Amino acid sequence: MSTISVLGLVLLLLMALVGGKAGIQSFLALILNFGLLFLAMVLVAFQFPALTVTLVVGLLVLALTIFMSSGDDLSSTVAFIASAIVLVGLILVIVPVEHWAMAQGFGPEDSEDLEGLSVLVGVSFTQVAIATAILSTLGAIAEAAMAIAAGLGEILEQHPQVDTKSLLRDGIDVGKQIIGTTFNTLFFGFFGGFLALFIWFTGVHYSFGEILNDKVFVAEILMILFAMVSVILTVPITTWVMTRAVTGQRRHQAAVTAKKDEQK
Amino acid sequence: MPKKLHKSRATMLIAWLVVIAIGGLLVWVTQHNARWYREPIVRVTQVQTRPGTTVEDDFHNQDVQTKQILTGKILNGQYAGKTIVLNNVYSRSKAMDQRYRVGSQLFVTLHHHHGDLSGTVKDLKRDGPLVLMLWVVVGLLLLIMQFSGFMAFLSVDLNGVLFLLAIFLNGSTQGARVLWIFGSLAIVFAALTLWLVLGPTRQMVITLATTLSGTALAILIALLVFHFTHEKGMYYEAMEYVTQLPRPLFLAETLLGSLGAVMDESTDIISSLFALKRERPELNAAQIFKSGRQIGSTIMGPLINVLFFIFVADTFPMGILYLRNGNSWGYTFAMNMSMGVVQSLISGIGIVLAVPLASFLASRLMTKKVTL
Repeated sequence: MSTISVLGLVLLLLMALVGGKAGIQSFLALILNFGLLFLAMVLVAFQFPALTVTLVVGLLVLALTIFMSSGDDLSSTVAFIASAIVLVGLILVIVPVEHWAMAQGFGPEDSEDLEGLSVLVGVSFTQVAIATAILSTLGAIAEAAMAIAAGLGEILEQHPQVDTKSLLRDGIDVGKQIIGTTFNTLFFGFFGGFLALFIWFTGVHYSFGEILNDKVFVAEILMILFAMVSVILTVPITTWVMTRAVTGQRRHQAAVTAKKDEQK
Repeated sequence: MPKKLHKSRATMLIAWLVVIAIGGLLVWVTQHNARWYREPIVRVTQVQTRPGTTVEDDFHNQDVQTKQILTGKILNGQYAGKTIVLNNVYSRSKAMDQRYRVGSQLFVTLHHHHGDLSGTVKDLKRDGPLVLMLWVVVGLLLLIMQFSGFMAFLSVDLNGVLFLLAIFLNGSTQGARVLWIFGSLAIVFAALTLWLVLGPTRQMVITLATTLSGTALAILIALLVFHFTHEKGMYYEAMEYVTQLPRPLFLAETLLGSLGAVMDESTDIISSLFALKRERPELNAAQIFKSGRQIGSTIMGPLINVLFFIFVADTFPMGILYLRNGNSWGYTFAMNMSMGVVQSLISGIGIVLAVPLASFLASRLMTKKVTL
């Protein structure tokens, strides 16, 4: 058996032992997410428009991750809507910055890996770079939105009559608690992946100015910064969506009770 | 300091305006800092485009190559102020080339030959977008999260400095001790970060113990699996930018990559359990363990996802290039994504193991009465 399948089985076993049915469901979501990511890659390679593919796949990934790991209740619905809004907002940030930075495709550091490959393949790598940046932050957006929505859901459970203004403040407070650890997850996740690149830079004695303007370096750092921006934006946006949902629910409830009173 | 901001609307508005103004100033500086660089920089003032030619490669991929003639002004160095004409070729896919515009600033190599000044374009100057995005992150953190945002940023900064030091240390030992260096670094990272977030408390010690043992166990399990499967289906040659022995480097990457997520998971579980114990001191160890498991199993799935997308999305451009070059799906996966998937699985194991570890350690080591 290959290493990947054994590691996968170990993970499945552990997730089932620790999380029971929910654990198996989360594992399934992970596999499906991988399938979606691979599908996105194949579609873009077949010259489907990268941005559209990414948006559709992105929404599917968010829905899968959020609903499969926490069931269908108010906070998951709020988390999904909020993360979808963040996704669209993120695209508005990423597109102009990627066009300005022109950090798409490959740099001179990649030349060894590119040996024997044709790079004039007719696929816009600017679009691919935008797609890559969006896809790499999907997990972080979903996680942050779920954490904020769950935290607010708990507050609502304990104080069902909390007014929307203090709910807004509570959302930011929950955000303050998670932001430190979430940033660390992003920092270590990305820097773990860039370790080889950074060792390359010091080994080949790039100057500071060369590193700061290097295509591959800028592309990688921009990805971390996009992810951080999306996590920060997730906090107020999820809170806002939650207050809208709660206001709507209360208005609905008020209308129902008013109707009942009338019938009496 | 932003932490002293009052909640009133006017001060918030002023704070936003100040942040935006500083951002604008920083971007302006990056557009006028050519003197800080030793390499000659040219600002493009005029672009002439020649008609494009269609090219086709062995796999019938069609692309269009276009030649640009750029007129520009040298901004720094001994030829500052002089005008220069440069050639540039870009393709529609722009995988290895760029289409420059009026206003683009370029690093060039100048050739001085019998009184004629000519040059070749090396690369685009990219510090502008980098600084802008960095400021967007800092600005949003300060405006929305205030003091907590500042602390989060500080901890990332400190870790970044440590990371750099470790890379230099690795360079000075020719990469022979990469796993030792980054393994010890992981301990320092975790201790420093948790100390910043939680302070020197019992909670911090328990979280640190969980983080370190979870990550270490995951790596041990991975090494066992590697041993028994003889690393079948792992392609170290598929790793990018490798300048030293790939196997220890891969393990070091995985170790660092999982550390943050395992720490995230442990912090969440243990702080919830401490809060629970404060509210209901009558709970016994078994009950605490059970709630810990419950809390942990809802957050582990999304956390594994975070790392999965970070590790695997990065291989997107190269994967597309492989597919366009007539490679099969299987080969494209093996050569680009397999190592990222292995990393995600190992960190996933670490994240899941953190759940029982955190619950167990918290339920046994919490004192009977938890104080703030």
